[in-house]
Amino acid sequence: MRHTGKEPSGVVLEVKGLRVAYDNKIAVDNVTFDIRKSEVFGLLGPNGAGKTSTLSAIEGLVIPKQGKLTLNGVDIGQNTLQAKANIGVQLQSTSFQAELTIKEIIRLYAGLYNVNLSDKDIIESLELIGLQAEANKRFKQLSGGQQQRLSLYIANIHSPLLLLLDEPTAGLDPQSRRQLWNRIDNQRNIGGSILLTTHSMEEAQAVCDRVAIIDRGKIITIGTPLELIKRHRNDPNVRKVARGKVTLEDVFIGLTGSQIRD
Amino acid sequence: MRANFSVLIRTKRSLFISLLLPMILLFSWNNKHILKTFGGNMFVLAIVTTIGVMSLSIFGYALNVARDRENGVFQRLRVTPAPTWTIMISRILVQEISNLIIAAIVLIIGTRLYHVSIGAEQYILVLLISLLGGAVFLSVAQAIVALIKSADAVNAVARLVFIALLLLGLLGLSGTLGNTIRTIARWSPFGAIVQVIGGVSHIGPWTINSLWALIACLGYIVIFSLVGIKYFQWESR
Repeated sequence: MRHTGKEPSGVVLEVKGLRVAYDNKIAVDNVTFDIRKSEVFGLLGPNGAGKTSTLSAIEGLVIPKQGKLTLNGVDIGQNTLQAKANIGVQLQSTSFQAELTIKEIIRLYAGLYNVNLSDKDIIESLELIGLQAEANKRFKQLSGGQQQRLSLYIANIHSPLLLLLDEPTAGLDPQSRRQLWNRIDNQRNIGGSILLTTHSMEEAQAVCDRVAIIDRGKIITIGTPLELIKRHRNDPNVRKVARGKVTLEDVFIGLTGSQIRD
Repeated sequence: MRANFSVLIRTKRSLFISLLLPMILLFSWNNKHILKTFGGNMFVLAIVTTIGVMSLSIFGYALNVARDRENGVFQRLRVTPAPTWTIMISRILVQEISNLIIAAIVLIIGTRLYHVSIGAEQYILVLLISLLGGAVFLSVAQAIVALIKSADAVNAVARLVFIALLLLGLLGLSGTLGNTIRTIARWSPFGAIVQVIGGVSHIGPWTINSLWALIACLGYIVIFSLVGIKYFQWESR
């Protein structure tokens, strides 16, 4: 399942009729979308809309009640470990053992993904992400931005087919956020496919080729940021919230409502 | 496993308590009256070894698992291609090796301090039983983290369970609280392990009670493990 390029459609991930439920609560309902090679796909939605649940199903953390997930044509549900080996994940919280040093964390995850890295390789990688001076520091001693950089590096350590980023820029300062956007662009330029969730419309417009707006577990609309603005700019709900020229944020709020979600 | 070892060694508090408490007890109980109250030198060694193993298992394992779960460490590991069971097994193995080291330290210092002479086979048997003791208390710790989600609550409950088992073991086995409590203490997880250690280290002959104590230990492992596996959740939310 490495980068074979054999898929005629160039589809890397296909999600069909996905349904995720926790006990009786349906978190994701009949969600369908696909992600193509070299595409950055954004999943936008208010809190509790079903973004993380969708990602969790793709990551193999929850078993869907219904639907089909395929990665490069291979069923994720039936080949979970194989799929996991081809997916890179950055979770919402940067979650590594606080007592381990950066080098130890890299060594641990390289081992889990069966990647051979020498000390020299690790130092070179750390130089690339600007963490060479922190190699022997413990994870808890890093700043938020440094933790995010490490987390993204680990997500990419095995050159996955698909990268899943769950709110990757949450809590970052503008400089770190821009840096991360550049890394996402670089990833796309070398043929990587990325699925990211975000609350930031600015981010969606800056880095995503296509976005889907999800609310109450269902996808409401899907397309490029410009297409969504064109498609919904005359929607009365969108016009009501627009402050001047209609933006992606106006479309988002118009379609998902102005109510604050917990 | 190497990563888990590094984490355990750097979590100094639980290691410190697990080694310090048995050492304090070993040195402070080195008088005839206390040794007689608990039934002799080897019995005190069995109690102190059990305390060391219990402390490391409950504090080292339960608190680390609860904290890592709350910080999302497990979720991060679960999205890798490593089979899920290896995440827990590697931790349990690390804990058991640590239990073995604690038990060996207590035993070596204790036998010299109390002028107890035991053969190599007894040493090995006591160390093996300390692994069994570790398994009992690890299963208790697993049940705690399965039934309680919040790391703070796990911290509080683990301390309460530790103190309750310790007091029941110490006061109960010494006979201070009467015969009924003594009987309960003997069949508690703490007392059962002390009995088995006592049995294998030839305080007296291996009796039917030692066998029942061994069965009780295995029973505790099965029951607490089942609870610990059935109700465990990888996420604290």
